Amino acid sequence: MALSDYLITDDLTIILALVAAGLFLLHNLYKPQALVHPILLGRQSDAARVRNPSESAVYRNYGTGMLGRFPLRPNKDQQVVLDLVKPDADAPRTLWSTKIANPQLKERIANVGAGLTRAVGLVPQESNVLLLLNDSIEFIIADLALSALSVPTFTVASASVLSPVLERHPPSVIITDAEVLPHLLELIFDAHESEHHTIVVVGDINSAKLPKLNNVKILRWDDIETEGAAATKSPLSVPDPNDVYTVSFFATPSGDLEGAQLTHLNLTAGVAATRALLPPSSAMSPLDTIVSAFPLSTPYGRAVAYTALFEGTGFATVDSTKLIKPEGSAAIGLKDLRTSAAYSISSPTLLFIRPDHLDSLTEAITQQASKSSWSLYNFAWRHKLAGIFEGYITKQSLWDRLVFDGARIKVMGKGAGTVRAVIVSGGPLEAQNLTPARIALSVPVINAHSHPLVAGPVFATHALDLQTFPTASPSLSASAADAYAFTYLAPVGPPTVNVEVKLVGVDDAAVEDGGDPIGALHVRGPSVGRPLSVEEETQEEEERGWRSTGERAKVAANGTFKVAPAGKA
Amino acid sequence: MAFDLGTPVNTALLLYILYSIQRILFPSNSVPQIVPNEFKNGYTWMPKSHPPTLLYQTFTPKTLAYYNGEDGKRILLAIKGVVYDVTAGRNFYGPNGMYANFAGRDASRGMAKQSFDEEMLTPIDQPLDKLDDLTPEEIENMKGWMEHFSSKYIVCGKLVENDAI
Repeated sequence: MALSDYLITDDLTIILALVAAGLFLLHNLYKPQALVHPILLGRQSDAARVRNPSESAVYRNYGTGMLGRFPLRPNKDQQVVLDLVKPDADAPRTLWSTKIANPQLKERIANVGAGLTRAVGLVPQESNVLLLLNDSIEFIIADLALSALSVPTFTVASASVLSPVLERHPPSVIITDAEVLPHLLELIFDAHESEHHTIVVVGDINSAKLPKLNNVKILRWDDIETEGAAATKSPLSVPDPNDVYTVSFFATPSGDLEGAQLTHLNLTAGVAATRALLPPSSAMSPLDTIVSAFPLSTPYGRAVAYTALFEGTGFATVDSTKLIKPEGSAAIGLKDLRTSAAYSISSPTLLFIRPDHLDSLTEAITQQASKSSWSLYNFAWRHKLAGIFEGYITKQSLWDRLVFDGARIKVMGKGAGTVRAVIVSGGPLEAQNLTPARIALSVPVINAHSHPLVAGPVFATHALDLQTFPTASPSLSASAADAYAFTYLAPVGPPTVNVEVKLVGVDDAAVEDGGDPIGALHVRGPSVGRPLSVEEETQEEEERGWRSTGERAKVAANGTFKVAPAGKA
Repeated sequence: MAFDLGTPVNTALLLYILYSIQRILFPSNSVPQIVPNEFKNGYTWMPKSHPPTLLYQTFTPKTLAYYNGEDGKRILLAIKGVVYDVTAGRNFYGPNGMYANFAGRDASRGMAKQSFDEEMLTPIDQPLDKLDDLTPEEIENMKGWMEHFSSKYIVCGKLVENDAI
């Protein structure tokens, strides 16, 4: 038979050919477009052209560049922390359970400031006030009032640091909660000090049975506020942005007490960096509601709270931020996240949470989704994962409507519809948990890195970055902890817009050969606070301001970092 | 009707259609084990190498002379103890350039006196030029050149005496 006999075409051929052509076009051209072009993800930080021996180059965010200036504040009007409460924004919003607008907030701040000065006799720049409050609007009011009075505030990141702080840095006044008061009085009693303490208590103390102490004067917050409202307020001098306005005490991994001295400039820069976490197309606005798992007593938590304050969003924190955790409480995971519902904020839109919250949220959603229909769930998962490999994720796809939306509503309630971005920090996040979280939530999940010295994030991934790298074989590293971290943890992205980092103690030979630099992480920038343990600064411009974080990090060729959490020294 | 396509063309088209349907309905879910080095080859990619970064080194006149640009080597020159990497200016400082004399040498005197002659360079095995006999205008001129070099090229080291290392 001739060749032409084989190539018989008939009507069926035409139909099949059309269908084949249609499928070809569908398969090759109907690919979802990546949310961010991959070329941008290949160069996420800008590296210096020269590096010192045994150090890596200095890295900055690519948007800022080595020659760019760091943003110091969200707007030129925000010079000191009190300016973050914008006077002309008068729409009310809910902070924890209080609905308040900025002018009323500023009034309350002024009242408390005047009341404290009268009742306690604070001397600007000399007195110190210890804020031992759980996260609440009183914390913010007290902090801002004292910043306006130029009285430094002390905060403790955890209750374990409290007794060393009382010992070594005795404050003039302590402002505390009725919940924390018994614990505090116990500590003072045990210390057998003869120093006179003045304690201002928020909340109802009549019902509590308190030990009687002679050297302790207890005042009530409500009394102070009403007194201050009645008093005439003299205009206060505006503090210098470089004045230390708060010190946050925390414990280093080796157990020592360390304090981060934060100036007004550190906090405004931290707010600028936190705002830059979200892309400009989906920036924060007064329509948002932020739920944070980071206590206000830490610089990062404070920066998040003040960003919420500045943007006019609603704000609440979860129960694990409390100083003294109540007995039998679930301090991690989904149960902790749900405690924010106790406040009267609207449904959250932005979540600043820890890896354990993200993991348990993802697990709950995927379990719920797979319960409905196992084969449909697998199908949906498969398609969503294929989309992620193309760099694309959306909450409005067919698979969400069929499978995931129902699961999300069961797990997150109203949050299923409102949560639009999740920022994870405060602990190591494993790479294998990140992609399932992205699929389950289908919103931008930003992996960030925070440090007790820095107001605001230190590193943060690009909001629309969906790259999934295979788990590489563990390479030789100095320690097992390093090897585990750099193999299994998710990258935390480039430095934020106003932080520069360098790695110290790198192997020069390996780096000159093209290997990834690995070393101890040092940071510098306007949002980095000054540790109390650093007494003198070196005079040289090049060396000044570098703070050791105590963590080890590794840079990849695309400018993203992986940080191994600080272990015991 | 019997399911008989009869012709190879139809069978081929049918197979292609089935293959396409399978690819569309069951997309691949495997993470490629080798990460591509170009963004054209995949959304998840990693550049082959880090951005180029020079190591700040300490040079002596003898070690500096090696970097004169011949055979594709880097071109370095020093002014007042500061070593600049001028490889980007190979047209000027490379082997056939106008200022090739300066490649791998201490060019301080030449920069100050605005001259590219051989007499401006001190031999490699002798101590560094002290520049004592320069007038203030010449020192100013040299400082101007140092600023120009700092902005145009990369500062990558310092120059010390031969016996200092």
